[in-house]
Amino acid sequence: MFTELNSILNTSPDSFTQGEFILVSDRQSDASFLIHHFLSFYLRARCKVCFLGLAQSFCHYGAVSQRLGVSLTQAKEKGQLVFFEGLKECLSVLLPKENNAESGAMNFLRDPPVGLRSLYEFVRSSMIGSGSMEEGAEQWGPNVLLVDDLSVLLSLGVDVGAVLDFSHYCRALVCSQMQGNMVMLVRCNKEEDDDDDGDEGSEVLLKGLIHQCNLNLHVQGLPTGYCKDIHGQVCD
Amino acid sequence: RDSCSYSGRDLLKSFITAALNREEVIHVLCFDVSEEELKDGLKPSDTQRLHIHNAYSDPLGWTGHPNFTAQQFSLEDLTNLVKQTSHPKPAVLVIDSLSWILRHKTPPAVCQTLQQLRKGGAVRAVIGLLHTDMHQRGTVGSVCHLATSLISVAPGVKGKEAVARVTKRSKSGKVMQDEEIFCIAEDFTVTILSKASHAEHKTNSTEEEQADPTANLTFNLRLSDSELEAKQKLTLPFVFSKEKSESLQ
Repeated sequence: MFTELNSILNTSPDSFTQGEFILVSDRQSDASFLIHHFLSFYLRARCKVCFLGLAQSFCHYGAVSQRLGVSLTQAKEKGQLVFFEGLKECLSVLLPKENNAESGAMNFLRDPPVGLRSLYEFVRSSMIGSGSMEEGAEQWGPNVLLVDDLSVLLSLGVDVGAVLDFSHYCRALVCSQMQGNMVMLVRCNKEEDDDDDGDEGSEVLLKGLIHQCNLNLHVQGLPTGYCKDIHGQVCD
Repeated sequence: RDSCSYSGRDLLKSFITAALNREEVIHVLCFDVSEEELKDGLKPSDTQRLHIHNAYSDPLGWTGHPNFTAQQFSLEDLTNLVKQTSHPKPAVLVIDSLSWILRHKTPPAVCQTLQQLRKGGAVRAVIGLLHTDMHQRGTVGSVCHLATSLISVAPGVKGKEAVARVTKRSKSGKVMQDEEIFCIAEDFTVTILSKASHAEHKTNSTEEEQADPTANLTFNLRLSDSELEAKQKLTLPFVFSKEKSESLQ
């Protein structure tokens, strides 16, 4: 967790605004460090976190979180963290084996026009499932949904409209209904002024998400080019 | 019409407030934001004539018991919805937002429904919010062509100000265009500050009056007459003159 960022956003694990949708976006840069920040932030704040890790493996996130002082394995064992490993789930859909229990969340891989309803159902069941109190189970704070990252879904053949519907439903569930928080990462590869049709989907997705979110943290390279000490700029 | 850089929702809420103050009945199709977020800031006493139809929690029927879905955006369903309140006066229909519906219904179908609503008589007026940066220009153009009044909002130069470009089409076919700078107060009253063109002239003249760079210097830019004369008399050290060449011989 980066304390300087906390002071700029005027938040801390002890006090943060609930019901917010924070959109993290980047253009020709890498904003995933912000996802690691928010992951450790909300785990420290004792929130119940559902993390859709579509871009990297669990070990990767675990290693980075270790450096930030948080253990993902422990959080998972205690029931504080529900981790959806996108890379593994993809394999179980594409190479089905008898003993592999398929969660059905990545059904869209077989049939992209179907959309992300089953992924939303997974999120919903993991959030609402936390409501059932077992004896001796720890009480966690507000629900938080983290997604890294939405652009991967576009690359997997999902329509922009389907991704926007998915983020809309998640926002209605997590932010409005449960008064929790949501952080999603979306990435753009081309320059903003390019009229290239190739990457139009991610531009429309970004604009649609900006309309939906409460706060947008946008990371981009410095206009002057590469620099040794300062790697980019973040604007909101 | 709005974009990512400036949200038109506050202006939409100010239209709702103004209509409520005129004692009109308003139906709102709420897709983009939750009912609470839309009601936030509106006076509670006025909300009796305000009917918000929640299309935010389940617009596609994923949960199994939707209140209002995007597919229900048709003349028949909307007329039934508006007539539920059984008020003698035709109501005002507010749509937040048309962009949501355009993502799930084809533009021709949406345009047809809007045109039918206009001629139907069940609603007196339709006010829709459209996010122009989410659609292709053809789609935006087609929907905007149906409108009798078109207001495009963009961020202004200073703080809370915004710029509105207004296009009005009268029944006679006359088109009037105007550009105004406005700001919206906490109670959603709109204050028009000035016409955009006047504001531009003002900034130009102030720039000209700004600092004259040749004033207050620590050195002289020009020489006085005596200084000029002294300069011309001065012999430079490495230039050959008659006296120097003679002394060297």
